[in-house]
Amino acid sequence: MIQVENVTKKYGTFVAVNNINFEIEEGEIVGFLGPNGAGKSTTMNMITGFIEPSSGKIIIDGYDISKRPKKAKRQIGYMPEGVPLYNDLTVKEFITYKKKKKKVPSKEKKQKVQKAMEDTGLVDVENKLIKNLSRGYKQRVSMAGALVSNPKVIILDEPTVGLDPKQVTEIRSLIKELGKEHTIILSSHILSEVSQICNRVIIINKGQIVAIDTPENLENKVVKNNSIYVTVEDLENKMEKIKDTLTDVQELKLISENEDKTKKYMITSAEGVDLRKNIFDTFAKEGITIFEMKKADATLEDAFMELIKAEDDREEIEEQEEISQEQDGEQEIEEQDVKQEEQGKEQKEIGQDEKIEQDEEESETTTKENKNEEENKENNDKNEESGNKEKGGQK
Amino acid sequence: MWTIFKKEFKSYFLSPIGYVVVGIFLFVCSVFFYLTTVNYRSIDLGSLYFYAAFYGLMIIIPILTMRMFAEERKNGTEQLLLTSPTGMAGVVFGKFFAAMAVIAIALIASLMYFGIICYFASPNIVVVLVSMLGFLLISGAAISFGMFASSITENQIIAGIITIAFLIMSLFIVDLDIGIPDISLMSFYQKFPTGVISLNEVVGPLSFTAMFIAFTIILMQRRKLVK
Repeated sequence: MIQVENVTKKYGTFVAVNNINFEIEEGEIVGFLGPNGAGKSTTMNMITGFIEPSSGKIIIDGYDISKRPKKAKRQIGYMPEGVPLYNDLTVKEFITYKKKKKKVPSKEKKQKVQKAMEDTGLVDVENKLIKNLSRGYKQRVSMAGALVSNPKVIILDEPTVGLDPKQVTEIRSLIKELGKEHTIILSSHILSEVSQICNRVIIINKGQIVAIDTPENLENKVVKNNSIYVTVEDLENKMEKIKDTLTDVQELKLISENEDKTKKYMITSAEGVDLRKNIFDTFAKEGITIFEMKKADATLEDAFMELIKAEDDREEIEEQEEISQEQDGEQEIEEQDVKQEEQGKEQKEIGQDEKIEQDEEESETTTKENKNEEENKENNDKNEESGNKEKGGQK
Repeated sequence: MWTIFKKEFKSYFLSPIGYVVVGIFLFVCSVFFYLTTVNYRSIDLGSLYFYAAFYGLMIIIPILTMRMFAEERKNGTEQLLLTSPTGMAGVVFGKFFAAMAVIAIALIASLMYFGIICYFASPNIVVVLVSMLGFLLISGAAISFGMFASSITENQIIAGIITIAFLIMSLFIVDLDIGIPDISLMSFYQKFPTGVISLNEVVGPLSFTAMFIAFTIILMQRRKLVK
């Protein structure tokens, strides 16, 4: 439905969006995530044709937005950031205006306007001037304007900002409902919202795509250790020695002491070990009362923070390397080339190492089976090493 | 284009702007109705329209045009315009004709002076209609320039001042005699008030209008690239 190919947007020398690629299928609800200034709105603005990309191609339902803007824009309903509206019009006038502008067939005109107002809960205020509405209502008017012409693609830039909790749930369920018939792209700062509504998440940082995946997969990626939070009443201070009784415990950490003399601990075990049953039994024997026990879940928030942090760290390291390597001062332009060269070098080195290792193996081993086994082992070692490197980078 | 026209025209009269423009125009007309027609006891209304154009345009045109694109840009509603399937040409023409319609209403209201004179004598309606046609043509030229000024800034005041400056300058550039060809809009309004339609005075303002409408369209389309 939407294809974004090698899209870059530059403002002078500042690169707002750097060579991004992704595709959105029909009927998907896709969430854009990223810190402020990451390029979310710029990307959305380019998809809607509000701004032209410096290079690259954006295709909407088969129409290139730069070459056939009228047809492409007709497929899109857009709710911009900051809800720009014509303050002199009434709600009904504005929605009718939006609908006419999108050139919807003249049949059932009024019905569609009415339906859009009902969906967004605007019927009560339909004859009020937009300038007299509260922020939440303005938000809904803007949304109704995006929906009214029943477009194939609906793009919502932060749709729930400024709404009260009841409206937020209403709008979320409306978005979910719309997702059955429309392709929806939305951006949001509220991560729980994105993980609730969206089928897929695109995380952008500093103009580059960091990850594209389902919210579940992203959450699973960051679950690394098994931590359990327990709140206990421990009058005889037995928790200090509990590590001796409880095997498999890697770390025991006091997090807080509550007013009712209970204490909250974090217990970390080795990967793949679920301690909860063990804790329950042991604590009961020791006379420690458990008030609360909870397994630590990774949320989309954790995934987001990890990915953004990893990206930032990686860039810092690269920048340092560049500074040490290059002293000519033409860093900005040659940044990418340098990166590629570095990658190439690394690959070459790895290739050479492998050859040497293979030669040694051939001379030492006699049977093919042994050789294969050793190669596998080495590969595993390498994987582990690279894994460690990544972890190191993240820290 | 039609929807933009309707919305723009409506908002002229939902806000005070439309009434202010018609009011100022009629005030200027009334003053010169007294100074020319009544004072000289003539039945000629041509000089009324000539002076109304000479002094009136520089006041009413900036009021009409300064908000056209500057306001949209400031409020962010430019985003709604540029993402709608209506092409930029449709938007620009819609806004242009909405402003023209306000001038047309003001001109129709000015027919009351013709009515007043009809009560005492029998003036020539053709002269009045030709004068009005000419007035509409040079207003179109002035509006197209004002619209262009409005599209290059997001500050309405600056857009208004640029338009006023241009209109005043174009009045005096004739007297400066510095070798610049005569670009005064009023030079296209010499024969109309006498009831004569000259090809020169029709083509002049029309091509001026076309030029600045084209400039505005090009400028607005370029916004997408530089934004």
